[in-house]
Amino acid sequence: MPLRPLEIEFAGTRGPLMRLALATSVKTVLTLGIYRFWAKTRLRRWYWSAVRPGGVPLEYAGEPLEKLMGFLIAVVFLAFYIGVVNLVLVFFSFSLLADNGTAYALSFVGLVPFWFYARYRARRYLLARTRWRGLRFGQEPGAWAYAWRALGHWAVTLLSLGLLLPRQTFWLEKFRTDRTWYGAARLEQGGRWQMLWPAMRHLLMGGALTALGLAATLVAKMAWLIVVPGAVWALAGLVYYRVHSFRILAAHKRLAGGIGFNAQPRAGRVLRIYILGNLLIAILLGVLITAVTVLAALAFAALGGLAGPEFWAALGGGGILTGVTTAAGVVFYFVIFILWGVLGHAFVTMPVLAHYAETLEIENPHRLAEVTQRPRDAFAEAEGFAEALDVGAAI
Amino acid sequence: MSVTIHVGAAAPGFAAFADYLDGERSLVQRAALSILEDAPGGAALRIEPPAGESVVWPLADVRVLPDQAGGPGIVLGRDGRDPARLILRDEDAAARLAARCPDLRPPRPGPGLWRRLGLMAAGAAGSVMVIIFVLVPLLANQLATLLPPEGEKALGDATLSQIREALSQSRAPLAVCEDADGQAALDAMVARLAAGADLPYPLQVQVLDHGMVNAFALPGGHVILFEGLIDAAEEPEEVAAVLAHEIGHVAARDPARIALRTAGSIGVLGLLLGDFAGGSVVLLLTERLIQANYTRAAETAADDFAHGLLKRAGMPPEALGAMFRRLREKHGDAKGLVAHFASHPRLADRIAAAERAGDAAAREPALTEAQWQAFRGICD
Repeated sequence: MPLRPLEIEFAGTRGPLMRLALATSVKTVLTLGIYRFWAKTRLRRWYWSAVRPGGVPLEYAGEPLEKLMGFLIAVVFLAFYIGVVNLVLVFFSFSLLADNGTAYALSFVGLVPFWFYARYRARRYLLARTRWRGLRFGQEPGAWAYAWRALGHWAVTLLSLGLLLPRQTFWLEKFRTDRTWYGAARLEQGGRWQMLWPAMRHLLMGGALTALGLAATLVAKMAWLIVVPGAVWALAGLVYYRVHSFRILAAHKRLAGGIGFNAQPRAGRVLRIYILGNLLIAILLGVLITAVTVLAALAFAALGGLAGPEFWAALGGGGILTGVTTAAGVVFYFVIFILWGVLGHAFVTMPVLAHYAETLEIENPHRLAEVTQRPRDAFAEAEGFAEALDVGAAI
Repeated sequence: MSVTIHVGAAAPGFAAFADYLDGERSLVQRAALSILEDAPGGAALRIEPPAGESVVWPLADVRVLPDQAGGPGIVLGRDGRDPARLILRDEDAAARLAARCPDLRPPRPGPGLWRRLGLMAAGAAGSVMVIIFVLVPLLANQLATLLPPEGEKALGDATLSQIREALSQSRAPLAVCEDADGQAALDAMVARLAAGADLPYPLQVQVLDHGMVNAFALPGGHVILFEGLIDAAEEPEEVAAVLAHEIGHVAARDPARIALRTAGSIGVLGLLLGDFAGGSVVLLLTERLIQANYTRAAETAADDFAHGLLKRAGMPPEALGAMFRRLREKHGDAKGLVAHFASHPRLADRIAAAERAGDAAAREPALTEAQWQAFRGICD
């Protein structure tokens, strides 16, 4: 007898998140970036604990120090690679081709496999430090195998002008999913890649319109009027693809052979959060920048009028004034930088995560009670490569 | 050890219910909580799940998970790596239990982690230093000698256009001064100096329209003088001396070496400074410092080369000294002139060396008076 599916609550609210994001990013700036390992850990603890399948929060058990150490390991590897490889590439590019563009292009291409490698390792670390109901998640090793597959799939997708994107999405997701564990239970990705075609709908139509418009500009300049809406449509179509491929893939995932998932996130909702959230942030920061600029101008005018030139001369002329203005400018730059991040958490990252969480259900949850613990994955380098290469997980 | 003050006959009892996760199975168990006052090793929390044995956590080991979103209540664990958890949603019970626990701070990293971190940080810093200061320069020096002249020329052309764009105040790159008579005078002086040098490729000397008192060599035989330097010189011999110094760099292929080193080390620095805001500014400054560090020996060698070249061309090496002395009077030693001379050996040492170098066997002016006037007007 199937029981009711397990629903996922999202228990986070904006106020505490903004306080946490503000405190951690101020410390990050004040420590010249070292605190970012702590900042990331603390924000993840918060986000994880807000996601509550069946009322039991997820737990993020990663430690800041292991991230810092992983970063150090990765930096040494990459410093060697980038230092020596860049040098050799620049040398060959100049001695054979007499130009440096090729060298930078090659050294970028040389980093691409590392980038995929880093993404897989980062996901493994993230899962190894995620717990629910006291049980660890995990992912099997396989980062290089993943990196080569990802390169191959990207090549095929690019050669097919993006038409084979579903094939790439499916096979890479299957590679990751089939190596993912919850406790001693394995997750499996079923289905076939063609099932993702319907999710491509808007991306294809927007892309076709853009291509058509571009071709038409060769005949008539006015065709730009088709290109712009076409590109916007394609961009929205990309969000639609991500949301709907997530739905389809989730419906074909099985844990321990019988536990299923029902994901119903809505593309319109996600798109609205992205657009309105970023618009709100832009408006808030715009108002702040304008207000500060106007106030500063007024303050200068008032000071100049009150104190008069003798006062400034006594202060040592323009030198002090320039110094103070520059210092204020630097502080203001960091304030904007910090606020942008904080508002991004509150109005984009959190609402998107909440929407994905609240529209996901776990089917046949009674089978969960059979699942047992898995051993701890020590994983010395944590997500160092991802951190060093700035692979940029959402959180 | 905390001291509990008992009021009345019996201790105030603590009793509550919480969701217990045993860290073994994916099972939420509604467990009864109570405090054992006389457990061995101090008071302890007793957790009694509906089935199975009860569990005892010493109160001194109980920790609260930090940075948790929303409420209600708290999530408790034990110090160390035990994955078992208690979710205590009753705020009142949570407060009463918290009051009994001596140390609720988050679980701390295992012993020795800070020490290991220190060792690793030192090791990582050391390795990166070795890569930037030993490995990359060593490799760059080797490769620079293997670089074919056409390749080096291309490297120099690319660098020159980058520099012209970086120094320009407007959108157009910094102008090259091309007055025909001035360029002819310059070429005559260059030809006289180059006659005494064995160079891998022809020299290409140009004047850039910029007020900086500076000159530098680029890969592939480019030598660049700034107009500011020509204005600062009082006689043509002084310009000739600076030129001879830069030709010394060309002869040693220093610019190619530095360009290759920069290509290697700039990527590493970008990696280290990472995604942190405003990294690129720091990047440029740091890169500058590194170069200053490793060109000092090359500068002294170029000075020595210049002394020989000047003597053979019948010009006084101490003109280099005279130029430096005036620069020092105007700007001070090793301060002021940050732009270029920061990476050079101390001016006082160089003046002394130029004066020790002796004089040419037979002197001949570097330029005639007419040539000198034409040269000074090269940017007009």
